[in-house]
Amino acid sequence: MNKTMENKTCARILIVDDELIIRESLAGWLKRDGYSIVTVESGEKALEIISKESFDLVFLDIKLEGIDGIETLSKIREIVPEMPVVMITAYGSINTAVEAMKKGAVDYLLKPFEPDELSLLIEKILTSKARDLENLYLKETIKDRIRFDRLIAQSKNMQGVFDLIKRVAPLECTVLITGETGTGKELVARAIHSHSQRREGPFVAINCGAFPEQLMESEIFGHERGAFTDAKEQRRGKLELANGGTIFLDEVGELSFKMQVNFLRVLEEKLFYRVGGSRPISLDCRVIAATNRDLKKAIREGIFREDLFYRLNVFSIHLPPLRERKEDIPLLARHFLMKFSKETNKHVENISRDALDLMMIYDWPGNVRELKNAIERAVVICRGSQIRPQDLPISVGESNKREGPDGSTKLLPLKEIEKRYIKQVLDDTNWNISLSSKVLGIDRSTLYKKIKKYNLKH
Amino acid sequence: MEKIPSPCIGINPIKLKDSSFLQGLLKEIKNSLGVQTKIITVLNDIEFAYHEGRGQYYSTRILEELNRLTPDKYLRVLAITDKDLFIPILTYVYGEAQLDGRAAIISTNRLMPQNRSPKELMKFSSRIIKEALHELGHTFGLTHCRDKRCIMHYCRTLREVDEKQTKFCFFCETLLMDKLK
Repeated sequence: MNKTMENKTCARILIVDDELIIRESLAGWLKRDGYSIVTVESGEKALEIISKESFDLVFLDIKLEGIDGIETLSKIREIVPEMPVVMITAYGSINTAVEAMKKGAVDYLLKPFEPDELSLLIEKILTSKARDLENLYLKETIKDRIRFDRLIAQSKNMQGVFDLIKRVAPLECTVLITGETGTGKELVARAIHSHSQRREGPFVAINCGAFPEQLMESEIFGHERGAFTDAKEQRRGKLELANGGTIFLDEVGELSFKMQVNFLRVLEEKLFYRVGGSRPISLDCRVIAATNRDLKKAIREGIFREDLFYRLNVFSIHLPPLRERKEDIPLLARHFLMKFSKETNKHVENISRDALDLMMIYDWPGNVRELKNAIERAVVICRGSQIRPQDLPISVGESNKREGPDGSTKLLPLKEIEKRYIKQVLDDTNWNISLSSKVLGIDRSTLYKKIKKYNLKH
Repeated sequence: MEKIPSPCIGINPIKLKDSSFLQGLLKEIKNSLGVQTKIITVLNDIEFAYHEGRGQYYSTRILEELNRLTPDKYLRVLAITDKDLFIPILTYVYGEAQLDGRAAIISTNRLMPQNRSPKELMKFSSRIIKEALHELGHTFGLTHCRDKRCIMHYCRTLREVDEKQTKFCFFCETLLMDKLK
C-alpha cells in the first residue's frame, strides 16, 4: 500500500489493479494532478480499506486474482453505495465492462487511456459528486426546516424568527427589524418580501447612513429637473422605484432629524413629492426598516422621533446575535464551506473538530457576516481537504485572549496587531518566508527583521 | 577537470534530428529558474526503453536510467527526444518527470508544427520551452495548477499549450523559489 502526502487538490483516489506497473503508472500520473493516491493489488484489500477509509473515486481493474472486479464492485456498492467506481479494462473484456456499468460503475476506461480522456473523466466525476452532495444538503435543510428563503438556522430563537416572518409577510404593515450588524436583517426583509403579496414587485434597499442629508432626500424621494444645481434631469427616487413592491430602509437610526420628519409625513399621508416638485405621488410600497441601534435610547437622547418609531414599529422582529444561538454555527459554517468550496473550485470538504471548537468558543462580534468571511478566507488559504485551526483568522483562534478584565473587547496597539498578523501569515504558510513576504507585501529581509524584532518563533 | 557551475541543470538531447531550439531552451530555463544550464550526454540512445508492441518508448524507464547515470553535481537532468513516449496506462505522453525527484524527459514528437513557416517554428520552440519548464516544475514538487495561464497547468491539447504563458503563476513560482533556495 502506498500513500502520497496531502496536496492542493486533495481528492482521494483508490487504484485497484493486480499489475504493479499499472498501479505505479496510474498513481504517478495522478499524483502530478495533485490527487492523494492509495493503491492496492486485490479486491480483498480494496474492500478492507474502503470499509475503514473514505475515497472520492475508485479505479477498479476488472480482471483481478481472487475476488474479480465485478464482484468487488458489488461489494463496494454494499459498503459505500455513493462512492464512484470507474472500471479499467483491456480491450478483450469490454463486454464485462458494460456489465459493470449495469451494476453501478460510473464509467469504464480501456487500457491504455488517452491522457485527456482520463483527466476529463476524473474532473467530471468529482464535479458531479460535489453537486450530488450539495443537492443532498439542500434537500436535508429543507426537510429539516432549517432553511427559510436564504436564511439558515436550526436554533429555537431563529425558528421563532422564521414563524414571525411567515405571520407578518402576508400583511401590509410596516416592519422594524432590529439586531446587531451582520445578523442578517436584509435577508429577513427579503424573506418577508418574497412571501408577501408584493413578491412580484421590486425589492429596493437603501442604506440610510450612506448619504449626506441632501443627497439622501434626493435618493429617497427623487428630484425634478432644476431642483438644485446638479439636478440636470428629472430623477425617480427609491420610493418610486419600489412601486408595487417593498422598500427596505437599512440603518434607519442614521436618518437625519429633517429626513425623519419628511418620512413620518410620507408614512402618515401615503403621499410624497420629488425634491423641487409640486405633484404628489402616491406611496404604493411596503416599508420595512432595520437598525442596529437602540432606538428607544435614541428617543430618550432626543435624536430619534418617537412618533416615527411607533409608525415603523408596527410589527418588530429582533434577530439574536450569533453568540446567543451558537448551535447554528456548525450549520452555517458547513453552508458557507460548501458555497465557497464550490465558488473557488477547491475540494475543501469539512472542518476539523479543533477548528469547530474554536468557532464555538468565539463570540463573533460581526455575527454571521464575520463567520461567512472567516470561512471564505479559510477555504482560500486551506491547503488540504479540511479547514484547520490555523486556517481561521487570528481573532477566532485567540478569542479567549482578546477580552479585557471587564469582558469587553480590548483595543490593541498597532504594533501588537502587526506582530499577531505576521505570526498568523507565517503559520498559515507553514513559515514559508517567500510566500509570507508576498502575502504581507514586504520583502524577505524586512520580514526577517520583523521576525527578529517581535521574537516570533515557529 | 571541467568546472560545473553550481547549481546546474543538465540538458541531455538524445539524437535529435532538429536541435535548432536548444540554445533558446537553455536560455529560457536559466532565466525562468535562475539556475545555470548545460548540455550533457548521460544517455546516447533510448532503445532499451523501446516497446515493440506499441512502437513507442517507455518514459518511466528512461527516467530511472537518467537518474541513475547523471552525476550528483547536477541539480536536475532533462532529456529531450523526438521519439514518441508512453507510460503503460496512457496512449502517449508529451513528457514525464519524477515528482520531487531529479529526472525529467520531454518528447518533441507530438509538438511538431504543421509546416515549417517561421510562425509555426516559433510555436514549436515555445511549446518545447513550456513542456520543459512544466516537467522540471514537477521535479521541484509542483503539481498541476488550475490557473490556465500557468506553466504548470495541464494541457489537454496543443492549442491549450499554445495559449498558456511561459511563466509560473504567483503560487507555483513561490513554491518553486522556496525549493530552489
